[in-house]
Amino acid sequence: MCLGIPMQVVEIEGFNARCEAKGVYREVSLFMLQGEDVQVGDHVMVHVGYAIQTMTPQEARSSWELFDELLEAEDLTAVPGGEHV
Amino acid sequence: MNVCGGHERAITLAGLRSVLPPGIELIPGPGCPVCICPEEEIYQAMQLALHEQITLLAFGDMLRVPVNLPLREIRTLEQAKAAGADIRPIASPTEAVRIAAGLPGRPVVFFAAGFETTIAPVAAMLAEGVPDNLALLLSGRLTWPAVAMLLNSGEAGFDALIAPGHVATVMGPEEWEFLVQEHRLPAAIAGFTPDSLLAAIYSTLRQRLEGRIFLDNCYPEVVRAGGNPAARAVLDRTLDVVDANWRGIGTILASGFALKASLAAHDAGRLYPSYNDPERSRLGQMPAGCDCARVVLGRIYPDGCKLYGATCTPRTPVGPCMVSDEGACRIWWAGGVIASGQRETV
Repeated sequence: MCLGIPMQVVEIEGFNARCEAKGVYREVSLFMLQGEDVQVGDHVMVHVGYAIQTMTPQEARSSWELFDELLEAEDLTAVPGGEHV
Repeated sequence: MNVCGGHERAITLAGLRSVLPPGIELIPGPGCPVCICPEEEIYQAMQLALHEQITLLAFGDMLRVPVNLPLREIRTLEQAKAAGADIRPIASPTEAVRIAAGLPGRPVVFFAAGFETTIAPVAAMLAEGVPDNLALLLSGRLTWPAVAMLLNSGEAGFDALIAPGHVATVMGPEEWEFLVQEHRLPAAIAGFTPDSLLAAIYSTLRQRLEGRIFLDNCYPEVVRAGGNPAARAVLDRTLDVVDANWRGIGTILASGFALKASLAAHDAGRLYPSYNDPERSRLGQMPAGCDCARVVLGRIYPDGCKLYGATCTPRTPVGPCMVSDEGACRIWWAGGVIASGQRETV
């Protein structure tokens, strides 16, 4: 449950933001970033539907690249008895 | 030792153990909130769903954890759902609000287990205001007190700590300074990618070799001094920190979250009777023969349990560590680890 996903803000309405990561869209709450000036186009770290921190685009991108590598590695782990998760 | 299922997952799937030199062991510790969620709380959630006219919401991981009942009985939330109880898996507290708002007049109970990263959003949900019919069965825990307990036990079994990156993002890195101040333990906060974890491992080794012990931050992208002040404020406003029971471990002082008295109307612990019969066999314990308790404490590796991969697999899990995506047993099995050659840590 600690896996946060970096996402880009595409729309903001009050504390609710529509965010995107790799073509996937999610409704995200900005309630815990009240002290920050979050704008459309900014990147945030999202955990269980809530943005927990802002990040720079470079930081978000490098996380995505590494997540992609992790997912690739996971795809290769078809093992005897191993269940794909 | 790491204390985060996300760290263990990244370490195992990237195969970091296989590329580190001999002598360096990476021990999965108490990093899985589902694994340490008291058995009696899962039992209570299940009985509420079966016997009260309510809708029960829970994070998906929790649905397949068996409680200690005979095999012929309903033992998981998933089985209770199949038997007709209204149980719905959710992925975010915002879904709980949406579901409760869509069911006016129907009591909705959100069984929320998690560490600080998950409980802060739950607190934000409460602070923002929830529908009258939404109540919480809260099983929230703080991570650092479990590490403090291990270090104070006199048989910690680890020489350095990789601290959890998103817990530190929310709560601030300062929570982990006690490792250095009180225990002179090399420590580094890591993110969830192999490079951040390797940087943290390298940092703790260098700290040990150079005798220069400090709390390193290897996840500066999101871990900042003081953490997230708004998140900490909503936690302070809605929840108290209380002594709490950890499955397989026991009570750890000031390690749990409880709703403040002002939120009693949303506290399922106060609204409903306890269904736990103190006479029930193995109440609160791990299942018979299951070594999850020692896995959670980092005393043994997953394959040190004789059930691992034998009778206990993700398809037929016996203990919670094989159920949860953050459980060390499930992560190791999914990562193809049949035998590590490292069965015991101490």
